[in-house]
Amino acid sequence: MADAVVADIQRASTHDGPGFRTTVFFKGCPLSCAWCHNPECISFEPQILEYPEKCIGCGKCADGCFAGAKVLCGKRMTPAEIAAEVARDKAYYGKDGGVTFSGGEPLAQRDALSECIDECKKLGIRCAVETSLIYYDEEIFKKLDLVMADLKIWDSATHKKYTGVPNERIIENFKKVNSLGVPVIARTPVIPGVEQGIPQISAFLKTLENVKCYELLPYHPLGKSKRQALNMAEDEFSVPSAEFMEELKQYAYIR
Amino acid sequence: MLTYADRLRAMRNTKVRHTLEKRKQNGYTDLDDFGTVPISEGYSVEPWYNSTNGSFYGYDGMCENFCRVIDAHEPYIDPMEMLCGRWRDMLVNYRGDLHYMPDWLKNNEKIMEFMKSATNQWSKRWDEQRFPYDDLKPNQKKYNIATGIDGDAHFACDYRIGFELGFGGLLEKIEKYRKINPDKKAFYDAEERTVKAIIRFVERHCEKLREMIPAEERPEIKENLQTMLKTCENITYGAPKTFREVCQWTAFFNCASRIYTRDGAGFQLDGLLYPYYENDVKNGILDDETAKFLVANLLLIDPHYYQISGVDENDRDMTNKLSYLILDAADSINIACNLTVRMHENCDKEFQRKAVYYLIKNKNGWPRFCNDKALAEGYMKNGVDKKTSRERIAVGCNWMCVPGKEFPMNDTVKINIAKVLDEALKDLKNCDEKSAEKLFELYESHLKIAIQTVADGVNLHIDHAWEVTPELVMNLMMNNTIERGEDISQCAELYTVGVDGAGLAVVADSFGAIETRIENEKLVSWDNLFENLENDYADERVRTIMASAPKYCSGGSASDKWAKRLTESWVTAVKAQKMPKGRQLVPGWFSWSRTIEYGSNVGATPNGRRAAQPISHGANPNPHFRNDGAPTAQSNGIASVQCGYGNTAPLQIEFDPMVKADEHGIDMVLKLIEGHFEQGGTLININVLDKQKLLEANENPDTHPDLVVRVTGFTAYFASLSPRFRQLVVDRFLTGF
Repeated sequence: MADAVVADIQRASTHDGPGFRTTVFFKGCPLSCAWCHNPECISFEPQILEYPEKCIGCGKCADGCFAGAKVLCGKRMTPAEIAAEVARDKAYYGKDGGVTFSGGEPLAQRDALSECIDECKKLGIRCAVETSLIYYDEEIFKKLDLVMADLKIWDSATHKKYTGVPNERIIENFKKVNSLGVPVIARTPVIPGVEQGIPQISAFLKTLENVKCYELLPYHPLGKSKRQALNMAEDEFSVPSAEFMEELKQYAYIR
Repeated sequence: MLTYADRLRAMRNTKVRHTLEKRKQNGYTDLDDFGTVPISEGYSVEPWYNSTNGSFYGYDGMCENFCRVIDAHEPYIDPMEMLCGRWRDMLVNYRGDLHYMPDWLKNNEKIMEFMKSATNQWSKRWDEQRFPYDDLKPNQKKYNIATGIDGDAHFACDYRIGFELGFGGLLEKIEKYRKINPDKKAFYDAEERTVKAIIRFVERHCEKLREMIPAEERPEIKENLQTMLKTCENITYGAPKTFREVCQWTAFFNCASRIYTRDGAGFQLDGLLYPYYENDVKNGILDDETAKFLVANLLLIDPHYYQISGVDENDRDMTNKLSYLILDAADSINIACNLTVRMHENCDKEFQRKAVYYLIKNKNGWPRFCNDKALAEGYMKNGVDKKTSRERIAVGCNWMCVPGKEFPMNDTVKINIAKVLDEALKDLKNCDEKSAEKLFELYESHLKIAIQTVADGVNLHIDHAWEVTPELVMNLMMNNTIERGEDISQCAELYTVGVDGAGLAVVADSFGAIETRIENEKLVSWDNLFENLENDYADERVRTIMASAPKYCSGGSASDKWAKRLTESWVTAVKAQKMPKGRQLVPGWFSWSRTIEYGSNVGATPNGRRAAQPISHGANPNPHFRNDGAPTAQSNGIASVQCGYGNTAPLQIEFDPMVKADEHGIDMVLKLIEGHFEQGGTLININVLDKQKLLEANENPDTHPDLVVRVTGFTAYFASLSPRFRQLVVDRFLTGF
């Protein structure tokens, strides 16, 4: 049985797919998006997030911090443990809700992910992933009820500049997932100041029949405080204006 | 021409004006609004005291003063409304208990002078000269017990009795039974005078209307006043026949019961009013818009707790067209509406969706939701049949009652179990063996004494309430009372007396922190803990270690296990308590809004809570019970601590205002409700609040005088709450969903 390194498990999430969802954040991601709002999920190793404003000055950091000034992020869990945690909210999932494996890049821990899906399926829980589609794993995708995948930037060179990887493989994987028949929700985080090519992305996605929905998600500054806590350089992005989002609305769709 | 919408707007504006004016007169109240209007200029009552301690008791004392207070009430008629009548003042204000006295009355020199001259050594609400309980006081104080002694009402009338008879019929009924029970003269005299005083109240409204009508120039309003007059004339003595008459009759009766002791309770609103609605519609004298306006008007006059929907004794859905109209009516007036939707698998799902829609859309804390299965099946475990258990409806803040039959004293009797823990900790300090198990053993032995103390107080109250505060108004619509010439406290069919525990999360988290941090992880020693409890956590590191132990409602934690164990222990001990004369105690978890007051009596606790900080709210977890604040986790935790005998451990939850009143938002909230009820939850109070508005109102309440929050089971205008209480609501919200 493969353990997963998990950054956090959030219950009653309403932002990571339909219905009430439990979101399991897998730690580690091969991309390093400049605007990442879960920067604690980039490294595969456990890390300490530091919040000095909470320090009580007891001088006993080595014995463990309980004041919330140093918070360990990253814990090994077995798929059965993860499924048990997910099952706690089974009463609220209904026909739409369930678990979302997110991250980080959940497929980067494919064996653990695969077993987590099996364990949850055994309990009758619907499973989704949030993925960059940098990996294509037919066995896993076929088991899922929903794939939520990002296409962040249309131009490959720009994609590489901001995420660390080119996008040809991602675009190819979108086509492959589409052929499996699993419903896909495609998404683009809207980052003001970055030439993302949203019209082109939208046009491409429309050619894929199983992409049921294309969502535009405004950049979320949630990552800023976490970058600070991880001693990472601050990102330079800002939240898009309502007018900007309104302009782009024409490219989003549901079918 | 004024439309219904124009008139409702005007009525809402008047309500806002009254809220601000009342705050000027009364100061902060931290209470339900109760539908009062401000004291009018020149209003004055000369109370009659029949006890040397500066109070009044019994049939004659209560009756005489009821007559004086209701007679002093001027008629209240707003031409915008279709119904008339309001209340301003109640006779128990004059019992000289300064704690309960409104500020405006404290400014009355004559009253205050009398109070000072009276013997002041006894409680003024309870006649301690005749019925002392000094022997109980030490333990009542020790365990911070709300005794229920001197509590009033907290039961529910069977309105069908009044609807059938009218005030004239009630007089005839009194006359009939007076002859059968000649030895009960004092009772019947008091009841007769009470009904006659209510009739005079109605008649004064008729007189005032006759004065107003000629001067009214707007034709539609003139016609309204004429119909209002006709309605009042018809029901002065006669039984209500039409929908408008039955609403007006209810309004007058409720004003009277409020004037008496502020209490009273609602009824199955859609069920009892439906025959009148159906009949009027059939006869072509009522349309749905008018019915809606009338219900909105009734809800404005008095925010009693009414139940809607649910199933009958044969599990058949009782939702009807009026149920929908009541929701629409509440939406149209959108004030502090205490409507509770009874949920059952057989009930109309569309109706439930609509109820949730209004909850999200209006963000005013209504409606609430209660679970038929857990409540009815639980109540049957007290040895009550299914039909009666079904009749037990949501008519109070956290409580249910069988109208006409039950004397439950619900919500008046509480034990602060954080204080019980406090006492157990004191004992443990002197024990050689120190463990969570030993502490629990000590806690249980103190709890047993606390419950015995509660039982003694409850029995004293029930034995003598008729001699102290007989329920002269509510007796009129109870079974057996008029028939036997007895107060309801003497002749109820059911004495299932509610006892609530308060402070569950503080105690569960304390045991959980001891088990985790002291016993398993050995991060803190017992000596270190006791030292810090005594010096109020001078060592902040020790405090953070204890406070950061996984909490009740985090899911699968030691504290979650302790919460369940504490519940089992609580239920077992309460049910094991021997009671005389067929009475029994029924356990629940509820703190009402006493979290600040209760906390002030409790020292530092092992969960890292400092001395005198508020205790946890109802059955709710402590703040920061999980980083994600998941409402589903809270719901699961609270479902796991239900006491199971038909009383509640409510889920009080604050919801994200980002939840939209669309299909998705409705689905989410409905799933939360259904998920909680599937797991045995009993009652859900949901606040969907606008964060921005709440913060602005906290800064300056006058910016949003119409903002309503569901404080515990009850709703209050935010502007009427004290700054400390407002902050408590804000904190709870900010750590919520």
